[in-house]
Amino acid sequence: MSKWTRTTWRSIFIAIMALGLYAAFIRITRGLGATTNLTNDFPWGLWVGFDILVGVGLAAGGFVIAATVHIFNIKRYHAIARPAILTAFLGYLLVIFALMFDLGRPDRIWHPLVMGNPHSVMFEVAMCVMLYTMVLGLEFSPLIFKRLGWERPQKIIHSLYIPIVILGVLLSTLHQSSLGTLYVIVPTKLHPLWYTPLLPVFFFISAIAAGLAMTIFESYLSARAFGRRLEPELLQGLARVIVVLLAVLLVWKIQNLSGRGSLHYAFEPSTESVMFWGEVLLGIALPMGLLMFARVRESNDGLFFAAMLTIMGFILGRLNVAITGIMGSSTTNYVPSWMEFAITTSIVALGFVLFSTAVRHLEVFPQVERRTAAREAFMPRRPVFAGRVLLGLWGFLLVGFALVSFIDTRNGPDAATARVDEATFAPIVGYGDFNPPEETRIPQHEDSPGQVIFDHQTHTDLKEPGCASCHSGTYSMLGNDASRPDWVKMDFHDKNHCGGCHDGDNAFDLEDDDECASCHME
Amino acid sequence: MLACKEINGLPASENPTELSADNWTIVRKQAGLNIRKQCMHCLEPSCASVCPVKALHKTPEGPVVYDASRCIGCRYCMLACPFGVPTYEWDKRLPKVQKCVMCYDKLVKHGKQPACAAACPTGATKFGEREDLIREAEARIANDPGHYVDHIYGLKEAGGTSVLYLSPVAFADLGFPGVVDESYPKLTWDILTKIPNIVSVGGVALFGIYWVVNRRMMMERLEKGKVEEKEGGAS
Repeated sequence: MSKWTRTTWRSIFIAIMALGLYAAFIRITRGLGATTNLTNDFPWGLWVGFDILVGVGLAAGGFVIAATVHIFNIKRYHAIARPAILTAFLGYLLVIFALMFDLGRPDRIWHPLVMGNPHSVMFEVAMCVMLYTMVLGLEFSPLIFKRLGWERPQKIIHSLYIPIVILGVLLSTLHQSSLGTLYVIVPTKLHPLWYTPLLPVFFFISAIAAGLAMTIFESYLSARAFGRRLEPELLQGLARVIVVLLAVLLVWKIQNLSGRGSLHYAFEPSTESVMFWGEVLLGIALPMGLLMFARVRESNDGLFFAAMLTIMGFILGRLNVAITGIMGSSTTNYVPSWMEFAITTSIVALGFVLFSTAVRHLEVFPQVERRTAAREAFMPRRPVFAGRVLLGLWGFLLVGFALVSFIDTRNGPDAATARVDEATFAPIVGYGDFNPPEETRIPQHEDSPGQVIFDHQTHTDLKEPGCASCHSGTYSMLGNDASRPDWVKMDFHDKNHCGGCHDGDNAFDLEDDDECASCHME
Repeated sequence: MLACKEINGLPASENPTELSADNWTIVRKQAGLNIRKQCMHCLEPSCASVCPVKALHKTPEGPVVYDASRCIGCRYCMLACPFGVPTYEWDKRLPKVQKCVMCYDKLVKHGKQPACAAACPTGATKFGEREDLIREAEARIANDPGHYVDHIYGLKEAGGTSVLYLSPVAFADLGFPGVVDESYPKLTWDILTKIPNIVSVGGVALFGIYWVVNRRMMMERLEKGKVEEKEGGAS
């Protein structure tokens, strides 16, 4: 990496972190409302859609590679097992970190542990994510023990490694799919292009594909950054698996839509259909098609590009469920605030930095490779390409959000205005049965010339009673007995009571006996 | 509305048109009618089903109530509610979810009717046992079929709710959300109950695969070792 690019990247990183820290400060001191564009009818936004759904999904490479190496015993993949597990471990730690911003009460993040509700999908996800993060810690720990020179813990972990890996696979299967199950309970809120009881299955398959694509992506990037060689034959193997997974996903998705009678939505002009085809064509069909060609798989750049497409398609797919698909049922036109973007981007940037720090200090990649790296034929090209693709990724997302906000045909401001207009101009009927309490006896003060009986009938327009003019604050709506004793102490003549409407400061003329008698009747 | 504010100590607000943390019930004027909106108190509430910490639950009397001391602020209840009822204190540093709790702790638990029903001067809101209210609603529709739409909103909606509506105008025209008639929690529970099977079958299968694959490789190694031994012996 040239000195110039390094400085550029470093300044970009510092800028991202500075904005992120500012946003985090606002989030902590002033709450979610000041930081995000979330509303009561759009309660989950970018932080759930990207930081949680995408973050967990992209870390799926960890369990897939661990299973390949340790359970299916395909040992040649061992070379990429450590980086994949490291990515997953850091990924999950960052997901939990990101969750702290989205939770309204991050100080209570431990509550599900002791107050768990077995009916809640979220509870299941929380438990699995917590346990799996511990499993990943154990899977990763030998590297740390090795670095520290601790032999015994290394041996203990080694002897337990197979059960640990199996536990990890089970936990991953459960929560990768359950993230989809989260949305199975919103059949009337999630757009039919995405809603299906098969969401957990689709989430699981797409997470494996994206996790593998992420493994290719990070192998490529670290090859470039740390001067190691790529493992082309391994990555090509992963690419073939991705082709199969994407093909299954593509066919099953379309077949499921047509089976549920929802395929026609894809051919109606709407934000949803545009985003749907973006996901299916650019994010599933295109990388699948590209990776079917041996020439693409065998070219480093082709492989990397197709992996990037798979990852972008996965991101778009998750955001479609979390944002695009929910927007139609909401009156909010949600576009994340800059602070939401700032925190999300900082967490991603933090992930890159943590990964490279770990690679520098721990034996993530086998030593031999690093030494011989310079002589290897498979050194990827200049880094410029990767930078461009990263920019492309964000461009892709930005264009997506721009699409959502600008070509929204069904739920734009027009629909909302129409609703308000209707409410304003509609004739009001239905007070025919207005039947207020008959007589309200005001407790008599000792100086009072006679008891006052308040009559609702003569004090209200029966067509438009306007209860709020007296009942918002001053007089109990509930006829609350507890508040009545105070009445004896109140001066009903002043402007806060009868006087307010009758004659300003004092109700009626206090010197005129006839006027007194009009209220003090008994 | 005013009674609700009074009993729950909520700040006054100028003609609210949407539920919010300060407005647990609202009256909206639409299609020539006054329509009150508040929690539907579902028989099988999705909010209570999705809450990871049991901060929301259905009481035996009917109200769906909220325990703020458990809430972690994940806002899944807000997403899951088909009626868009739970709202959030977005401006607070330590926010709570807010919604109508049918005056459970203050009145209903003690055998009294909720503040809104007690204060209503027209009888538009009536409180009672669900069966009695359904019977009355059916009788009102039968006695005045020209006036009411033949639909009790809440009888079947979302698996049935503890709040029921009668209307002279189709509910869809009043902005009532279209919901399915099945219980919402059942949708996810049907999937969650598969987990024990996935764990047991999956666990056994994975151990099995590991065992078979490993054993085969060990045999191959042994075989190879024997061959090498033989060759070594021959030379």
